[in-house]
Amino acid sequence: MGKNRREKSFRWILVLVLVSAFQVLSFSRFFIKASSFNLELFYVFSAFMGLEWLYLIFHRLISRRKDFQLEIIAFFLSGIGLVVCASFNNDFALKQALAIGLGLLTHIGVLLISKNTDIAMFLRVPAAVASLGLLAFNLLVAKTKYGTLNWIEIAGFSVQPSELVKVAFVFVGAVTLQKIQSTKSLTKYLIFSVTCIGALFLMKDFGTALIFFFTFVVIAFMRSGDVRSIFLVSTGAALGGGMVLYFKPYVVRRFATYRHIWENMDTGGYQQTRVLIYMASGGLFGLGIGEGKLRNVYAASTDLVFGLVCEEFGLLLGLFILTAYGLIALYALIAANRAASTFYSMAAVCAASMILFQVSLNVFGITDLLPLTGVTLPFISRGGTSMISSWGLLALIRAVGLFGNSATHPANKRLEGEGQ
Amino acid sequence: MNYTTRRAYVVLALIGGFFAGMIIMTFSLFKNGGHWASNRVNAHLYSGGQIVNAGSVFTADGEELAKSFNGKRVYSKDRTLRLSSLHVLGDPVGFIASGTHSLYREELFGYSFVNGIYTLKEYGKGNDVYLTINSKANKAAYNALNGRKGAVGVYNFKTGEIICAVSNPAYDLNNKPKDMKVEEGDTYEGVYLNRLFSGLYTPGSIFKTVTAACAIENTPALSSWTFTCTGEYQVGQGLVKCPKKHGKMDFEKALNNSCNCAFAQLAIDLGKEKLDLQAQSLGFGQAIKIDKTLSEKSILNLDRANGFDLAWAASGQYTTLVNPAHMMILMGAIANGGQAVSPYFVEKIVTPNKIVIYRATKAIENSVNIKPETANELAKLFRSNVINEYGDSSFPKLQMCGKTGTAEVQKGKAPHAWFVGFSQRDDLPYAIVVVVENAGSAISNAVPVANRVMQALK
Repeated sequence: MGKNRREKSFRWILVLVLVSAFQVLSFSRFFIKASSFNLELFYVFSAFMGLEWLYLIFHRLISRRKDFQLEIIAFFLSGIGLVVCASFNNDFALKQALAIGLGLLTHIGVLLISKNTDIAMFLRVPAAVASLGLLAFNLLVAKTKYGTLNWIEIAGFSVQPSELVKVAFVFVGAVTLQKIQSTKSLTKYLIFSVTCIGALFLMKDFGTALIFFFTFVVIAFMRSGDVRSIFLVSTGAALGGGMVLYFKPYVVRRFATYRHIWENMDTGGYQQTRVLIYMASGGLFGLGIGEGKLRNVYAASTDLVFGLVCEEFGLLLGLFILTAYGLIALYALIAANRAASTFYSMAAVCAASMILFQVSLNVFGITDLLPLTGVTLPFISRGGTSMISSWGLLALIRAVGLFGNSATHPANKRLEGEGQ
Repeated sequence: MNYTTRRAYVVLALIGGFFAGMIIMTFSLFKNGGHWASNRVNAHLYSGGQIVNAGSVFTADGEELAKSFNGKRVYSKDRTLRLSSLHVLGDPVGFIASGTHSLYREELFGYSFVNGIYTLKEYGKGNDVYLTINSKANKAAYNALNGRKGAVGVYNFKTGEIICAVSNPAYDLNNKPKDMKVEEGDTYEGVYLNRLFSGLYTPGSIFKTVTAACAIENTPALSSWTFTCTGEYQVGQGLVKCPKKHGKMDFEKALNNSCNCAFAQLAIDLGKEKLDLQAQSLGFGQAIKIDKTLSEKSILNLDRANGFDLAWAASGQYTTLVNPAHMMILMGAIANGGQAVSPYFVEKIVTPNKIVIYRATKAIENSVNIKPETANELAKLFRSNVINEYGDSSFPKLQMCGKTGTAEVQKGKAPHAWFVGFSQRDDLPYAIVVVVENAGSAISNAVPVANRVMQALK
């Protein structure tokens, strides 16, 4: 009942028009000032907006759903990332638009897999094996890029396997733990988690390791109530602590400048101080796209993109973006609460937690409220794998709204049969 | 609802933490944004270490003290004006912490929380700052100090505008001496300090203002009180001395003569608690707001004082130290019937498109409290000081009231010369403080400085 009313009151087409208007406005900036018409950028923006409208209209026609909050938020965020890329150069914009397309394909793929829990059940082992394989492959051919080993190069594109593993991590966790399992399968999942986090530590990707660990704790919490789950958490915590100690010099260096960035303005606090200086310079309404100075700082379009958006688009938009991430998590919570199936609610809650935790690490890391860990901002940071994983995780949240409540679903029947 | 979905509320906790972070981040930008944005590595504002284009600083009478030109800071062509206004203007780097350049750095860059540094980007220039300082008064004060260390301050006790603020030693911003030595005894001792706002000096007899206020409020039948000065006054094992035998006097005459012996007896009769309380209510021990900065606290500590110490404290010796600006405000309160007005030196801030974004308003200074009757009585006594002791000829046509002080400091060094006071002319509602370090007698060293500055304002 409540759901139907909400669906009616949510005028998705109106919101989409508003978001599109915002996008046209920010895109048009590239054509007003340019001396010669930038045809390439025009195609990129048109393709993006076409994709946005076509996807939502098709989705509406096929599924007859009217709640497209999540998709519109994701398109809104992706569009901002695309503008940022375009403000650097055409190449960035083109690659980013391709990444959004790939992200959307991943999104659809994950939705299709999630639709049938039997298929999901079946895929959990291959997904886990593939994840571990990817990480192992990463470790073998890793290129040290800016202190971390989490990049590999495939056909001229740099790929971060750990980003792709994120989706699999939540997926495998939700499938494995959807109902009371044997100790054996729990142990398997524990081993899987520990291996993933361990591999990330070996890559020195402390930020992503932290995100995985946090998600692992959420999964464990969702399952807790029995001794084994608590055991899961404490093992995980001990492991995390042990790892931190093992890599102490590296971690300690990371933390050394935390809350002391102004004393280390040209060393460890370089990025954070520039972010704060230029965020403040931007004021509430920003200095205009391309008018900022943070863009000259390393990683401005990736890790520091939130600072760049605040400087050029203004703090108000920055806060609006953060609220949008909050809304994604809120959607997950509300939909999960209504869901009959444990798999869907678990997947949604974990995926949402992962996204929001990563946003926190990114935004509060570059503004020195948390230690800087060098993670990307979902949907907005420039980068293909980050975009793919963001849309993939979004599908896990979307699935609970689409399929989580279906009474005819085999998985739900089984759950009901077990009683509570 | 099953147990797993109930546990989904863990997301709510995460959202809560996330929003708390957003609020902290926004608040911290609101609080520190100006400080951050004006950082020297901000490429919007600085180019090659130089300020790109900050706003100008003007005096009340329209002199441009500083402006930005071709990416450099340019100062007034008048050397005396540069020297006399150094401290109130401040240096471009920020050594002089209480100067306009430091205190109004964000405004000069055109920063605001709402617009960031958009003003500077849009107009190529920050905001202009208009001071309350009168260039003639400042120059007169600087010239009158004639190279001696010290401070001069004048403010309108009805509105709070600081008309004159001079601190010496000063250096020329156009020609900053290399390797300035700023330690005690050096030529440039404490040159980065505005002595008016941040200096602390032994007050000598100007402290009799406090003792007199205490006597007026606490000594019964003060009008019939008399004292006979023999040139010295025995307290315990010690002797309080006067420069000469003043003979028999009433209270007014004792203040006119600045008789140390008479004030010693008054203080002993009052007791140190009452004197201490009086001093606290007159603003001792408190940092007083001056524009965007704070004065140094004046200090009276009688905790360990014996009778002899108290007897000397009554005349501003012992361990007592006062801040010149505080004395100026105290004079303002006496002149203004007991109400102390908070002093400021920035009148208004104007954007490049001529919008006034800040205008100073009158504010009452609550840390300096004096009863109206006491203030009026002191004003009468201070007028009597000028008429009977210093002479109206020292302050032609000014209707001055005041008190001098010749504060003994280290042995072998000349005393500090003080004058504190105010004019009773309706068109000159100004309170003044003059302190000249190691200058000698107040009458011949501080009074002429005060007169020259006040004449410049006539």
